[in-house]
Amino acid sequence: MSVIKTVNLVKIYSDGAVPVPAVRGVDLQVEPGEFVAIMGPSGSGKSTLVHMLGGLDTRTSGEIWLDEKRVDTLSESAWALLRRKKVGFVFQFFNLVANMTVADNVELPALLAGASPRDARERRQSLLGALNLTERADAAPGQLSGGEQQRVALARALANQPSVLLADEPTGNLDSRNTRDVLRLLSDVHKDGQTIVMVTHDARVAALADRLVSLFDGAIVDDGRIARRRTGTAGEVIDLR
Amino acid sequence: MSTARAGSRWIRADLRARRGQALLTVLAVAGIVAALITAVTLLEDGTNPWRSLFAQTDGAHVWFYTKDSPQVALGGIDGVTQTAGPYRSAPVTVVQDGKKEPAALRAMPTTPPRVAHPVVAEGRWLDPAQSDGVVVERSFARALRLKLGDAFSIIALSGERHTLYVRGIADSAEQGFYPEWTPGLAWVLPATLDRIEPMLGRSEWVTGLRLADPDATQVVSQRVVVMLEDQLQRVYTWREVRAAMELDNRLLGTLLALFGVVGLVAAALALANAAGGRVLGQLRDLATLKSMGFTRGQLALLLLVEHGALGLLGVGVGTLAGWAVTVAVLGTTSVAPVPVLAIVGGTALTVLAAVGVPAWRGGRTPPIPGAPAAPPRGHLSRLARLGLLVRLPPALVLGTRDAFTRRLPAFLTAFGLAVPMMMITIGLGVWATLDNFLSHPEQVGQHASLYVRPGKLEAADAQRIAESDRAVQSVYAGTDVNALAPGAARSVRVRAIGSSADPYPFPVVEGRMYGQPGEAVAGQGLLNLLGARIGDRIRLTVGGSPLIVRIVGRTVEPDLDGEVLSVGLDSLAAKDSVPPEFYALALRQGADPGEVRDRLLATSGESLDVQRVVNPADRLSVIRVVIVALIAVLALIGLANLLTASALGLRDHAFDLAVLKAMGLTPRQVMATLVTGTGLLVVLGIVAGTAAGASVVTGLIDLQGYTSGVGAGIGRPPSVLTLIVAVLVAVGAALAVALIPARRAARAQVPVTSR
Repeated sequence: MSVIKTVNLVKIYSDGAVPVPAVRGVDLQVEPGEFVAIMGPSGSGKSTLVHMLGGLDTRTSGEIWLDEKRVDTLSESAWALLRRKKVGFVFQFFNLVANMTVADNVELPALLAGASPRDARERRQSLLGALNLTERADAAPGQLSGGEQQRVALARALANQPSVLLADEPTGNLDSRNTRDVLRLLSDVHKDGQTIVMVTHDARVAALADRLVSLFDGAIVDDGRIARRRTGTAGEVIDLR
Repeated sequence: MSTARAGSRWIRADLRARRGQALLTVLAVAGIVAALITAVTLLEDGTNPWRSLFAQTDGAHVWFYTKDSPQVALGGIDGVTQTAGPYRSAPVTVVQDGKKEPAALRAMPTTPPRVAHPVVAEGRWLDPAQSDGVVVERSFARALRLKLGDAFSIIALSGERHTLYVRGIADSAEQGFYPEWTPGLAWVLPATLDRIEPMLGRSEWVTGLRLADPDATQVVSQRVVVMLEDQLQRVYTWREVRAAMELDNRLLGTLLALFGVVGLVAAALALANAAGGRVLGQLRDLATLKSMGFTRGQLALLLLVEHGALGLLGVGVGTLAGWAVTVAVLGTTSVAPVPVLAIVGGTALTVLAAVGVPAWRGGRTPPIPGAPAAPPRGHLSRLARLGLLVRLPPALVLGTRDAFTRRLPAFLTAFGLAVPMMMITIGLGVWATLDNFLSHPEQVGQHASLYVRPGKLEAADAQRIAESDRAVQSVYAGTDVNALAPGAARSVRVRAIGSSADPYPFPVVEGRMYGQPGEAVAGQGLLNLLGARIGDRIRLTVGGSPLIVRIVGRTVEPDLDGEVLSVGLDSLAAKDSVPPEFYALALRQGADPGEVRDRLLATSGESLDVQRVVNPADRLSVIRVVIVALIAVLALIGLANLLTASALGLRDHAFDLAVLKAMGLTPRQVMATLVTGTGLLVVLGIVAGTAAGASVVTGLIDLQGYTSGVGAGIGRPPSVLTLIVAVLVAVGAALAVALIPARRAARAQVPVTSR
């Protein structure tokens, strides 16, 4: 049983004069509790892939299965309803709702998923507590540092205990210290059994994952498990399947 | 439910973040709705006291005056259900506080009739035990400041003085209010009238007819004219009474309605602009909401609720305000529910439609928040390149380019400012027209500022006293008579004044002034009533003798809805014109009518009756209050548009700011770029609106003049100076408003990466 499964997934952007293939025939399977890093150079289609996995973008052809259900045929609205409970997103630019306080930002997905205001508040308190943000609950996102904002975004994404956490370059906009903080959090939630798919172009960030998928020109060129015990060189880190 | 909870969080947070703009929206919509509700209440007949008075008194639809008691069976006319009278009526003069007022003393029995019975408001009806009792019509009593028990001194035509006592004050739907409708009305018992005016020849007989169908009025009054022929003195119907009681409500209502309807369009535009601008500014937040699980429909609904709620709140506040205004000004009886509900429903729908499109567009935001919504990339036009070549300030060139980057919002901004500015210009035009009434009364037929009636003196003495005053430039003898217009089956006013050779200087706006006996000029209302045109020959009957004149011109006629025919005194038969009823006094430049009046009264030993002319602008001064209020509401609408434009401009160019600074523009130049971007649209909108307003204002006022009977030719555009000042104030205020956020943005440290 896999959390995510794609079969020959294809995405071709045809807005412009020339159709641009972004993802060409990706077959990917993510097991429960796995932490998958997707790497690749700019334009290799990694963000498009992760957007399609969360239903933010539509596929051109192929299949997407989420929790053993086929989801690529869903409408935009059905996707939205599905995301409430099964998918959490973390973006590069945090994307907190600027007008809402930190607390409201974290409670919003819980409310949306049908939690009572009290449950939502309790869940928010425990999440912010775990992320060390309790005292910033009433601040506006603009008053927070980048690292803090990304931690709030992470709390928001985890509010409904989603089947899968999709992270698109979560550290792309952070300095090294904040990067370390966020990665430690990701690692922590992963230890608690959270399935994570993370896009990054930073090898050090990717090294945190269980498994590394390399994309090039929209196709998987490499898919390998990372050894638990990390040593110095790449040759020892990756053991090819 | 869950979506509603989450949505309400978002709405609350967003409204908190833009309190000022939200308040502005509510106020602008509220102002417009209040204006519309006041307008419809003023225009609605319910505000006209005639309706309730007519119902209370079981009024008669047709009234006619005859020399003798009519001997024909008027009750037998088809459609007549009941008759009132005939009652004997004698003309008298009431003397109260040294003033003399014309009155008609009406004989009425102890038991009031079933039709057209006065309704006693204070005191009691006439009682045979008190033969010196009189019941006075309410508006007449108010004008004379009469209370129950007061003495009511009258002078009969014979010159004899009598003193009666006010026993009651009553309402009647028989004639309009005093002093708009003269003479005033008072009722006495028949025996009392016989004592005061024993000569039957000096009195008339008044008969009222109540009809089964009010629409049959015209037919019935025609029959009366034919049946009574020479006996008939004059006829009028409920329509004239209703029109007289309506006063200026209709003009005010029309003005408010015009401003309200156009203002509603402007407010809807402002609302759409504000909602659209807000949505554009929030695309990333909206995308984030979608990534969290809001569907397209829910997001559209969310935006519709948020922006619509502001509009609906405005509608609610406006309804309350409009209701309060009408209750305060007109009294509780006058709120008409159906049109008010229609306005509330209509404006609510307009508001929802205005925010519906931006909400729908917001719902279609793609759910990938990473992709920033970039403004369409404009590039420097040839004109802008040329501007740079000839070393125009770069801020100007860049700002000009910015202004038109987004074509549709640019158009909406300019248009959204042009509409309120156009209405403000029209308001200023109305103001200028009122000013013109005051400064040039001769242009509205008020060349003479004093009217002298001989009173106790001989006509010739009165004329001599008037002519001898040093401030009097010229004296025109005149007489007002009622004439029957055969086609219209009702009476019209014929004003004979001056002579045909030396005519009173009427403001003739079409055709020419009369130059010989048998020629006349008429107001628009009369032309409309008779269906006549300049050059037509018309035949009227004045007290039995025919008056045949050719209409050679049209005058501006502020009196009696323009239903006045003006001729030289020598066009009337001698029996009607000698001696003249009054003298119209044109004063020298700069003379004060009040002083001249006092002097004339002193010279004549208080024997003359001297009246000052009431300028229509004095009567209409409430319009100025309305104009000021409307200009305030329109300015709010303009401000709302401006804030939207300014916010949108900042958002579109936030990224460019960093680049511009990197290229070497000083903060001041950056600020100038931003201000030019908004300011250009502001100037375009304001100038276009002012030009549009100035070009239609005269036509609009003249159209109103035409429909109200005064006639075209009164409209005045605002002076060039006023317009320039208005444009400068508007542009200056707009730039000041645009400057604050621009200054803040230019000084802020703009990060290049995050957007």
